[in-house]
Amino acid sequence: MNLQRNVLLKKSLLLLILILIILFPLLSPSPYLTHISILILIWSSISTAWSYMGRFGMVSLCHGAFIGIAAYITAILFNYYSLIPLVGMLIGLLAVIVVAGVSGYACFRFGIIGHYFAITTLVITELVSLVIIVCRDITGGRLGYTINSIGPLPLYKEIIYLQFVDKTGFYYLALVLLLLTLYIWRKIDKGKTMVGLTAIGDDEEASSCIGLNIVRYKTAMFVISAAITGVGGILYAQYTMYLNPITMVGAGASLSIVFKSILGGMFTLWGPTIGTLIIIAMEEYVRVFFGAEYIGWSIIGYGITIIILIIFFPQGIYGTLREVLSKRQKHRIY
Amino acid sequence: MILNAILNGILYGGILALLAIGLNLMFGVVQIVHFFYGQLLMIGLYIIYLLVVGMHIPFFLACLIAVATVVAVNLLSHLMVVNPLLKAPLINQFLAMAAVMVILENLCLVIFGATYKGIPIILPILKIATIYIPISRLIAFVGSMFFAGLIYLFLKKTYIGLAIQAVSQDREIASFMAINQRLIYIITMALGAALAGITAAFFVPIYSVHPDFGGPFTVISFVIVVLGGMGNLPGGFLAAFIIGTVTMIFSTLLSSEFGAISAYLLFLLIIIVRPQGLLGIRART
Repeated sequence: MNLQRNVLLKKSLLLLILILIILFPLLSPSPYLTHISILILIWSSISTAWSYMGRFGMVSLCHGAFIGIAAYITAILFNYYSLIPLVGMLIGLLAVIVVAGVSGYACFRFGIIGHYFAITTLVITELVSLVIIVCRDITGGRLGYTINSIGPLPLYKEIIYLQFVDKTGFYYLALVLLLLTLYIWRKIDKGKTMVGLTAIGDDEEASSCIGLNIVRYKTAMFVISAAITGVGGILYAQYTMYLNPITMVGAGASLSIVFKSILGGMFTLWGPTIGTLIIIAMEEYVRVFFGAEYIGWSIIGYGITIIILIIFFPQGIYGTLREVLSKRQKHRIY
Repeated sequence: MILNAILNGILYGGILALLAIGLNLMFGVVQIVHFFYGQLLMIGLYIIYLLVVGMHIPFFLACLIAVATVVAVNLLSHLMVVNPLLKAPLINQFLAMAAVMVILENLCLVIFGATYKGIPIILPILKIATIYIPISRLIAFVGSMFFAGLIYLFLKKTYIGLAIQAVSQDREIASFMAINQRLIYIITMALGAALAGITAAFFVPIYSVHPDFGGPFTVISFVIVVLGGMGNLPGGFLAAFIIGTVTMIFSTLLSSEFGAISAYLLFLLIIIVRPQGLLGIRART
């Protein structure tokens, strides 16, 4: 009875939070807050997508590359051929899926795992970043690339062009993406794939011995993760209307995605989201209150925080919190 | 021009070989992805710059101090970050190292600023027939070979060197042989960092340093180590010369970015064909 009421309370609380999140842009006191929450939503989706792989022991450092491929293709098709981003997005995503599929298949088929996988993906991300820099006639090189603005439009056209005058539109797009990402996580959790992947994460040789198709499972997960990252990248690029090969594509960008998931706890559904929220809030706080001069110090501080967290709380902030809470709950029940 | 590029590539490969030996030792013995190896190199260059330009200390003394500082930084991070994580899962070690990299890079950014810093040492360029050889690269090559030889002798002839090799081949058996693993780890870390510091000294006349200087060198060192086979020094040597030559040929023919692109592409191709590295032996999993 007590337990039932607890569950009910939990559910109603979740519903309340969801309603608040949905209504947030309408109630938001300033566009700045909406802006920050859009960033948080987009990067949460990306870091959750990263955790799809990360929690099974696949440390990918090429998610920046997927952002870059998808976002640059969409933007270039729009600027040069005025192809609407909604269609350009599909082409960009196709490219991401092909790249992820080929590189994933090649890596997993030939037994590149662990350290080797991490280094290979690191090389891939640097390669993509360099290719973007080299094609500077098309992509603008190191200086970055600006997406053409088309000015105010009616709503249905705004959706097609993925450019909104009002931030609210983007907020809902990003929210849908995040919910979708979380839904897919749940789907993976419930499905047969989960059992297979957990087995692979625990012991790769043993699971191949009992007849699991390791290559297919891992490649599939890699492609799904890459595709969502690509969508997130496109949304981010369309939102800021600016792309940069170093801050969005290179190794630094890939690492910052990884940091967000780890900080929150990549083994839990809400972990990456909470990690992203904390990191973006912290960065913005330092930037606003201390100015850009201290951005170096803030990053140093956040590096130290990451190290302390990894050493003492390897489950991440949310993961540790949940562990503690569930322990307490168990005591209460018995 | 091609001949010139190849020759320069071989000289460059020699320096990369020395750089890669350090990483190879740490990767092979401590079994950790030493993500801030290039950043150690960068710190070495910054220290030399600070001492020579800022305090007018003689160059060779400055190099010695720089090597000592780099070793100290690496040992500090080893004791504070690597040691507690030796038994942790791979991903945690990896991210902690990446976090150290972020810290070091931003520390240099905060202290030295984002501009390029270089010491104006201009060495003449040797000209033989149609081939131009920068003396600075020649010195670096000869010096690198010298230190690589020293390391080789150290690993083959001394007790500690043999112990390092034993640990890299089989940790468990090595500990049965009364080898203090933790001590070997510390010695390896110091040795690896010292090699980065020495390479930094050779780099002074060639490059000017900036906060993003280290990243590409970390990646290229890893490329060489993985190509050569983890813990395999001759393989690393071969890989360093291949990567150095390819990089130089393509940067001369097209542009410096193409040099790096070709090296990375080569790496991706080879890793698929031979995941264990060029000369490496690794059980397929």
